[in-house]
Amino acid sequence: MNYEFNWFYVKKALPQLMDGLMVTLQLTLWANIIGLVLGFIVAIGMLSKIRMIVWPLTAYIEFFRCTPALIQLVWFFFCVPILFNVWWSAEFMGMLALGLNLAAFNAEAYRAAIQAIPHAHTDASTALGLNVLQRIIYVILPQALILALPVLITNGIGIFQQSALVALISVQDLMYEGRYIATQTFRPIETLTTVALIYFAVSFPVSQAVTLVERRTKRLLAS
Amino acid sequence: MELDFSFLLEYSGVLWRGLLTTLQFVGLAVVLGLIWGFILSMGRTSKNLFIYWISTLYVEFFRGTPVLVQLFWIFFCLPLFLGVDMSGFTSAVIALSLYSGAITSESFRAALKSIEASQFDACTALGLPNGVRTIFVILPQAVLRAVPNLLSNVVSLFKESALVSAVGMADLMYVGQNIANNVARPIEILSAVAIIYFCIGFPLTRAVSMVEGRLLKVVKA
Repeated sequence: MNYEFNWFYVKKALPQLMDGLMVTLQLTLWANIIGLVLGFIVAIGMLSKIRMIVWPLTAYIEFFRCTPALIQLVWFFFCVPILFNVWWSAEFMGMLALGLNLAAFNAEAYRAAIQAIPHAHTDASTALGLNVLQRIIYVILPQALILALPVLITNGIGIFQQSALVALISVQDLMYEGRYIATQTFRPIETLTTVALIYFAVSFPVSQAVTLVERRTKRLLAS
Repeated sequence: MELDFSFLLEYSGVLWRGLLTTLQFVGLAVVLGLIWGFILSMGRTSKNLFIYWISTLYVEFFRGTPVLVQLFWIFFCLPLFLGVDMSGFTSAVIALSLYSGAITSESFRAALKSIEASQFDACTALGLPNGVRTIFVILPQAVLRAVPNLLSNVVSLFKESALVSAVGMADLMYVGQNIANNVARPIEILSAVAIIYFCIGFPLTRAVSMVEGRLLKVVKA
């Protein structure tokens, strides 16, 4: 334990780390947008009685939930360009893989929430003459969103943390910059600790907010 | 683009060894995490403020940072920090176990919290001493209620274990990527690796929901 700390290099590299953080946050934002929208669509699809819709969706959800995010990311990075003959940037691939991963988890959260909506609401919609789309948008979506909100936010922060994986497919996010600076300056302890603290500083307040939201929604539902 | 999965047979031995390494990491992290998590959950329910805050900070920190960062930190920094040599294997196991402990302690804590106050009152009414109360009344119920969560932690550890490939451990992920680079056939090999992960992850996930359903019945009854 006779290590001498030297924070000089980390201080100098702080703007670079902040650039990395911006990339991380952008990835998180887009992955969450994909996850929230696609997740809901998948959850609605799962309600269908047509097997040709339910089975592929189930396969999609289970596959993304039961394999490591890293293999999904690497698979997208290496295989999508060959399979579909497209050349997208690593950032885009990362965003896509993270978004699809999140959508699978969110779909489950939405599904649980939708199941909690009393069946009387469906009957009421029919009685009011709402068509299927109106029912989904005006009756199911608002309630599902409120009920699933705590889980959705938790999944969202999860993706913020998982996004560190994109560093392994050469996206210059916070993790990537941190590792780069650590090797450049031979100061892994200071650099990686700073990186860890930055991640923590972002995710901790959000996870605390979840507890608050959870309490609020419970009260909202009780009233 | 022609797909040719036949060459995979040649590599089945290597993949198998990779899988065994993965399972080894998961097994060690689960066992060590259970012990560490139990200690931490004691700390988090402790009345000693210092112990409470230290363990809370620890848990929040490990749950609030990417596992990849933790892994790199332990791999690169811990040996420097302590001034000892540490094999990659040791540091990967330590990193996974520390993370595993953090998530496990949360499951234990939730289970402990879910035990009604009436149980404690009943123990007092029956005149049971503290030790007996903890071991025969609280612990069995807490473990029973924690089981589904603990199992789903095993699933997430199984998935997170793929990260050790980033510090050069020859687990399934690492082996797969290596072969993919060597034979320049990423689609076949990476898909195969994904399917192997799925073949283990899926039954595990199913088992979790089955156990959950069973336990709900037991607890309610």
